[in-house]
Amino acid sequence: MKKLLCIIFLFMASCASLGQPGNPSQSASPSFTLEFPEEWRKVTTGKYLMITRDGAFAQYILVQQRHVDQPFNHTKKKIDKSMLPQEAAGVILDEITSDRTVLNFQVLENLPAAVNGYNGFRLVFTYKIKGGYKFKTLYYGFLQGDWLYSLRYNAADDRYSDKDLETFKEVLESFKIRAAQSA
Amino acid sequence: MNKRRYFLLLLVICLVVGSCSTTPPPLPEQDLNAADDENRLWQRAAAEQAIFESSGIIYRDPALEDYLHSIADKLQPLDVLKKYNFRIRLIRDPYLNAFAFPNGVIYLHTGILSRLDNEAQLAALLAHEMTHCTHRHALRAFSGLKNQNSLILSLKQAVARIASTGDLLELFGTTASMAAINGYAQHFETEADMVGLQLMAEAGYDPSEALRLFEHLRQELESENLKEPFFFATHPQLQKRIENSKGFLERMNPPETQGIKNKEKFLGRIHRVLFYNASLDLKAGRFRAALRGAEKYLTLRKDDPKAYFLVGEILRQRGEEEDDLRAKDFYEKAIALDPSYPDPHKAIGLIYFKEGDWVLAKRSFESSLALSPHMHDRAYIRGYLQECSKRGTGQ
Repeated sequence: MKKLLCIIFLFMASCASLGQPGNPSQSASPSFTLEFPEEWRKVTTGKYLMITRDGAFAQYILVQQRHVDQPFNHTKKKIDKSMLPQEAAGVILDEITSDRTVLNFQVLENLPAAVNGYNGFRLVFTYKIKGGYKFKTLYYGFLQGDWLYSLRYNAADDRYSDKDLETFKEVLESFKIRAAQSA
Repeated sequence: MNKRRYFLLLLVICLVVGSCSTTPPPLPEQDLNAADDENRLWQRAAAEQAIFESSGIIYRDPALEDYLHSIADKLQPLDVLKKYNFRIRLIRDPYLNAFAFPNGVIYLHTGILSRLDNEAQLAALLAHEMTHCTHRHALRAFSGLKNQNSLILSLKQAVARIASTGDLLELFGTTASMAAINGYAQHFETEADMVGLQLMAEAGYDPSEALRLFEHLRQELESENLKEPFFFATHPQLQKRIENSKGFLERMNPPETQGIKNKEKFLGRIHRVLFYNASLDLKAGRFRAALRGAEKYLTLRKDDPKAYFLVGEILRQRGEEEDDLRAKDFYEKAIALDPSYPDPHKAIGLIYFKEGDWVLAKRSFESSLALSPHMHDRAYIRGYLQECSKRGTGQ
C-alpha cells in the first residue's frame, strides 16, 4: 500500500511540475473537445486536460485554455486578444525563459501554424530541469476571443517519438472549441 | 537519527528561521563540534555552487569579474583575503539580490549590479556580503539554533512569502536559499551593515553612497509591490536600516577628503551587463526597470543601434498610450545609425501592420527580409507580406 501511494504521489508530482514549464490553465471548465487513443490515460483536474501513455515524466499531451486576463507566473507580460500569433508566441517564450527552474532552454522552431483552422503558432523547444533531465516540447497555441488555447506534446528527450507525434497530430486534428466559447 | 542527518535537519531549520535568535549567540569556539560543522557547511556550499556553475545561469565576463575582485581586494586586509579567497560571481537574474556563501563565494544578480550608480555603492554591497563570511554568520546562525530546536517552520511557507524568489529554493540548495531568500538574522544584518560601512570608508569610498543602495532597494520594493524584501527578507526593516546607517555615518569621523565614487569607471565596466539585464527585465515584463536600464546604457553608448532598438522594443511591447509612436522614433534612430540592421525595420513593420497601414508595413517587412533573408522569423514575415498584399489591393 505504501509503495502504491508513493507511485501515485510521484505521478501526481510529475504531472504538477516536473518537465512542464509554465503552469496549467486556470480555466474552470474546459470548453473544447478532442479525441485521443485508448492506450493513453486521461489525467484531468478540471483546469486542464492531460493525457499520457507511460506516465507524465515519460511523455504527455497537455491541452489548456487560459483567459487573456490571467497573469503568468514568471513574466508580468500579458496576452492581449489583439496580439498577432508571433507576439503571443513571444509572451509564452518569455514566460518560460523567466522561470528560473527551467535550464538550458533552447528554441528550435517558432513558426506560424494552424490548429484545425485556427491560426496560431508552433514552437519546438528543449530544456533541462534540476538534476539534468532533458525534455523536448512541441507546442501549438492560438488566440480565440478572450482565450489562449495551447496544445503541447512534451516528452523526456530520449522518449520523444514519431509514434507519439502521430498521436499528437490526431489530437490536433480532432480539437474543436465548443460554440459558446468560440466567440 | 545519525549525526549527519541531524546536522542537515538543523541546517534546514536554521535556514528558515535565521531570525529566531535575538541576541548574538556565542561564537562557535564554545562548541566542540564547530569545526566539523563549519567544514560541512563549506562542503555543502561548494556542492550547491557546483549546481550554480553548471546550470547556465552564471553570467560570464572575465574582465568584469576581475574588476569586481579588484574592488573586493580593496575592502579587506591581506590575511582575510588569503583565508577566504573571495570570489564574486554574477547570476543572470533581473531581480535585485545578492548573497554570500560561508566559504567566501558571493553572488550578485545582474539586476542589482545594473541598478548601482557607482563603485562606492558596489563597495558597500560587497563589504556587506563579505562581512557575512568573515563574521561567520551562517555558522553562528546554526549554532544559535541548536538551543532552539522547538522552532521548526515550513521552509516552503517561509519562502512563499517572497514571490520573486520562490523558484530559487526549488532549483538550488538550502545554503543558497538561506543566503539568497531568507537572509540572515537581524542582528547579523545590522552587523554586516555597520562593519560594511566601516570597511568601505577605510578603503577610501564615500560611505554615504551606501544609503543610495538602500534607496535602490526601496524603489524595487515599491515597484514590485513587495512587503518583504528578497535580499533582506529577515533583515531589519529597510527604513530602520537606513536610520541605523545614517546614525553610524554621523558618528564616524568625517574624512579629510571626499570619498571615492568612481561613477564613470564603474559604468564603463558594467555597460554590457546593463544591456543584458535590460533584456532580461523586458522578458520578465518589468517594463519600467527595462526602460531604466536601457536608457542608462544609452547614456554610455549613444551610438549603439541595438540599444535604440531595445528601447523601441520595450515601448512597443509595453503598449501604453503613445508608446508605439515613441517606439517608432527609437527604431528610426537605430536604422539611421545602422541602415543594414534588419530588426528595427521588422519592428516598425509590425506597428504599421497592426495600424492597418499596409503600404508602409509591406515596405518595412520587405526591407527587413532583404537585409536578412534567413532571419529566424522569416515565415511570420512572409505571412505578413501576403496579408499586406491582400489587404492593400482590397482582395
